[in-house]
Amino acid sequence: MKEGQNISGADILLEQIISLGVDTVFGYPGGAIIPVYDKLYDYSDRLRHILVRHEQGAIHAAQGYARVQGRPGFVMVTSGPGATNVITGIADAMIDSTPLVVVAGQVKSDLLGTDAFQETDFIGMTSPISKWSYQIRRPEDIAWAVARAFYIASTGRPGPVVLDFPQDVQRGFAEYHPQVCNFIRSYVAVPEPSDTVLRMAAEMIDTAARPFVVFGQGVILSGAEKELEAFLDKGDIPAGSTLLGLSAVPSANPHLKGMLGMHGNIAPNIMTQNCDLLIAVGMRFDDRVTGNLETYARQARVIHIDIDASEIGKNVPVDLGILGDAKEVLTRLTGLIQGGVRRAWKDEDVKCYEVENSRVIEPEVHPAEGLLNPGEVVAAVAEACGGKAVIVTDVGQNQMLAARYSKFVGSRSFISSGGLGTMGFGLPAAIGAKIGDPGRTVCLFVGDGGLQMTEQELGTMVQEGAGVKIVLLNNNWLGNVRMWQELFFNRRYSFTKMVNPDFGTLAAAYGVDSATVEDRDSLAPAIARMLSDDKPFLLNVHVREETLVLPMIPPGKSVDEILLDRNVFFEYGR
Amino acid sequence: MEDEKLYEITAYTENQVGLLSSIAGIFTRRSMNIEKLLVYPSRIEGIHKFKILTRSSEKLIQAVVLQIEKKVDVVKAFYEVDDERSCREFDFVSNFLKEREEINK
Repeated sequence: MKEGQNISGADILLEQIISLGVDTVFGYPGGAIIPVYDKLYDYSDRLRHILVRHEQGAIHAAQGYARVQGRPGFVMVTSGPGATNVITGIADAMIDSTPLVVVAGQVKSDLLGTDAFQETDFIGMTSPISKWSYQIRRPEDIAWAVARAFYIASTGRPGPVVLDFPQDVQRGFAEYHPQVCNFIRSYVAVPEPSDTVLRMAAEMIDTAARPFVVFGQGVILSGAEKELEAFLDKGDIPAGSTLLGLSAVPSANPHLKGMLGMHGNIAPNIMTQNCDLLIAVGMRFDDRVTGNLETYARQARVIHIDIDASEIGKNVPVDLGILGDAKEVLTRLTGLIQGGVRRAWKDEDVKCYEVENSRVIEPEVHPAEGLLNPGEVVAAVAEACGGKAVIVTDVGQNQMLAARYSKFVGSRSFISSGGLGTMGFGLPAAIGAKIGDPGRTVCLFVGDGGLQMTEQELGTMVQEGAGVKIVLLNNNWLGNVRMWQELFFNRRYSFTKMVNPDFGTLAAAYGVDSATVEDRDSLAPAIARMLSDDKPFLLNVHVREETLVLPMIPPGKSVDEILLDRNVFFEYGR
Repeated sequence: MEDEKLYEITAYTENQVGLLSSIAGIFTRRSMNIEKLLVYPSRIEGIHKFKILTRSSEKLIQAVVLQIEKKVDVVKAFYEVDDERSCREFDFVSNFLKEREEINK
């Protein structure tokens, strides 16, 4: 601790992040951040630095880390290209409310605005996609700015914060005093819900015959998992989860009717259209959840609980908005509502489930013969993990199938790029998740396209000894786009077929064990081998090429217009 | 567009570098024109004031104002239908310009 001493700006940054509890840095050095890296050399007993292979890997790894840990991931990169390479991850973290603090080097202050070597206007570029972005201009401001950055990133609706750190400020000196920030006058982190509004909500719930809860990641971010379950129990209310809400409630909870949205389960989508009261908790009515807004839950009254005022009424008109933290709101609401018995309504999902099971799930998971289905692989891995693994996905069919066929027993077990849909997210995010929660098995589901977007991070995985279990659903296609081309673009397969490397050889080049599976009989033994230790492993599974992920609500359709197969729509009541 | 009107947004903010472009970005995202923009120190010590005139529907202006207020360095943001006086001025000037164009024909 160098409190009260006159130390360099680089030292102040590192002392200050340590004082705020940071022990892991995801980064990549470069010219404009060398002074900090020079000091970092002396801090290796207190800060673990994860050297990635590309800055995009650093930020996605920090996202995976933040999502399992529930506290900000810390990223450090250089100026110019180092900074621009993390932009995708900043946008991803913003839309998925992931707390991050990104420090980027910057050219010396006297060169700002001169098109100096590796200069970019990083603040200008990131201000629309970050919760806060700030250029530190004096060594005496560093501790203050860093404390403020962590406070903003981790409170309220979490998000990424950017600090631009010119080289002369890194080299300058100031007296260091550790800073703590827990108040900003212009920023209300956690709004206080009023008693009146909560009482109105309780009355709406008590008088509803068919209430339905739709919940999102806000429940996890708020730590309100138990409170949500208690609320559902007391009111006897069924619920559906968004993609990022998965694992907030255990898969076996009888109130949980599955996942909402485009590739979600039939029951929660149909129940959205049949309920008389829709209670949204910590979710933002993404268009992949709502389908056509004009017809979405129009029969129902809507209560929206969120911590972000700008979300309430943004997409879906609400009858009652409750501004506040999910944990507090749910605790107080559970106290106010009467206990309910809504057995008949709750069991309305049975018919939906029977259709989905016989038409979609069974043929996908237990096919009689033929090539392996990707969903079958997910289900087999999920069963072998017993719901205890952290499931990380890339983006596309692998993501939707992982979401549909994984099982969860505890929270913070599903990590995926939801809002931005960033291909290439999976591998680095899984590495970050394993580093953040080393005691758990981390399974990555990824396609051949997405793996090749960030496959260089295999090097990071090996160097850091992060035992990620990579399940490659390999069909030699960009599967999701191929599916859309098949269904909506007359089977014109425009640039979606891929000629791939031998992924086993690729793994071997990095010294990673692998198994290639082409038939049903060798799947279970290969999964058992993969899970037999805590080392990195690549399971390269050759799956059927022309897969559809079903059910599917076609884009722009109502959430009750559900495709069960090519040109076959679900019909309610049949 | 449904019921577009001229609205005046008032935002009270911290005096922070980059906030102007950050707020302007909210309008850019939705392809909205800013008809008038004033930024000046408010009567509250250390707090700046933005006055933004824009044409919009009520639903959109509500969303935009909430997104402005969501910025960490924005203290409060409000909107109102542009007051009658400036509407009169607006009408006066636009009529004046129309008359000038007539003369020019």
